[in-house]
Amino acid sequence: MKRRGRGIACMWYPIGFTVSANPSAATVKMNEDGTATVLTGTVETGQGSLTVLGQIAAEALGIATDDVHVVSADTDTTPMDTGAIASRTTYVTGNAIFLAAEAAKAILFEAAAPMLDVKVSQLEAKDRKIQVKNYPQRNVSIGEVALRAQAVLGTPAIGSASWNPPTVALDPETGQGKPFATYVYATQIAEVDVDDETGEVEVLRIAAAHDCGTAINPMLVEGQVEGGISMGVGMALQEEMLFDANGRHINPNLTNYIMPTSLDMPEITVDIVQGFDPTGPFGAKGVGEPTAVPTSAAILNAIHDAVGVRVYSLPATSEKVLTAIKAKRAAEQKQIPA
Amino acid sequence: MTDVTMTINGQTRSASVPPETTLLQLLRENFNLTGAKLGCDVGDCGACTVIVDGQAVNSCLMLAGQADGRQVLTIEGLASREHLHPIQKAFENSGALQCGFCGPGVLLSAKALLDDNLDPSTQEIRDALSGNLCRCTGYTKMIEAVQEAARLLREESRTQLTHARPEVATP
Repeated sequence: MKRRGRGIACMWYPIGFTVSANPSAATVKMNEDGTATVLTGTVETGQGSLTVLGQIAAEALGIATDDVHVVSADTDTTPMDTGAIASRTTYVTGNAIFLAAEAAKAILFEAAAPMLDVKVSQLEAKDRKIQVKNYPQRNVSIGEVALRAQAVLGTPAIGSASWNPPTVALDPETGQGKPFATYVYATQIAEVDVDDETGEVEVLRIAAAHDCGTAINPMLVEGQVEGGISMGVGMALQEEMLFDANGRHINPNLTNYIMPTSLDMPEITVDIVQGFDPTGPFGAKGVGEPTAVPTSAAILNAIHDAVGVRVYSLPATSEKVLTAIKAKRAAEQKQIPA
Repeated sequence: MTDVTMTINGQTRSASVPPETTLLQLLRENFNLTGAKLGCDVGDCGACTVIVDGQAVNSCLMLAGQADGRQVLTIEGLASREHLHPIQKAFENSGALQCGFCGPGVLLSAKALLDDNLDPSTQEIRDALSGNLCRCTGYTKMIEAVQEAARLLREESRTQLTHARPEVATP
């Protein structure tokens, strides 16, 4: 019969490389029509990083995300970036873009201060305008300021910056140090049905609570979490690279390497835990890889809760679960005196 | 060589191809319709899904000759120059695609479902998308997007019933 179980797993995950340098550089250019161009070496693979990076530039410059054109991933023309790895793009590249946008904004403020007859420190960039703090009616459009900066003052509003997460190398004697600049945390809970006659496991629901600092784009964070969970479900129950005695991969295809389909996916509830990391752009950290980390542990704990067996090798296929259930029954029967 | 003539996205197209040519090869190589993707080429991944006479099929498993004289819809035929199809709109609004490689196939599987059933249950949507593998999204937002598309299409069909204007009917 089917037996239901629940399991929980928690994790932390570091953002960026372990101690070694992983810088990002960026250039932000404010155009005289009020739009901005961001140059970044990082690459969009569908995770939505260019959207998030555009949002960071827009927020820093007080313009709309639609006003920002992000040019990316061209080693001939875009500034160096370590890449879309180590869950680092929002945090590291985001910081570089934020700093570059701030540098461009400083030039705009120098140009706008005499136009509005105030000090630079009294200015803010908001709603596509440079305006006087607390007196938003005293303003000038950001495009007009950009035009003045380049055509009259000869100081085009361009900012370039780079950022590398601050770390402290690990002491070879003590192992002490600060290998990463920041960490994210998550907990996932899985609910499964295990058929104790066949060993088949069905994942019914997963609740996932993730901390990523400020969620700059909550919909994209949810998409990352849901995608990570599908990878975790595959890792827990289905996906296995098989090799023969000569080390040849014997299932290099999607016929025999089984990954989750829409029918294998549980109902997912994503909870983005509100956080703020003062070292990240607008308090953001990262979310990519961590999403897949706790899933398989939560599922395997749920299997234990359902049928009382531990499976120590992944994937926990029906065969392995059934073998463990039979072994458990056999062990229990042995305890009965003859 | 086999001569084939079919209606693709409303246009009659003809070609003369070797008999072993698949529909996918015909679309991509002869007609330059590269929206249908070559993923596994053995019918596992669904990236090559197109609609033939109302049925979602893996175009890598269908010979070009088998599509002779039939109606084929590829992803290129879904949007008009002015408007995204409601399914595409819903996928965009929900963030339902990430890398997008599976996208053309998923959208056409969804369209084949919604052409038959404008009010599918979650299970029916899962069934309809089960032949389309996606490595990025976990399918969750896709299922939500198909539900949203169904709602948009139901609204659209109600509007068309109330003000019957056949000239604005969508393909």
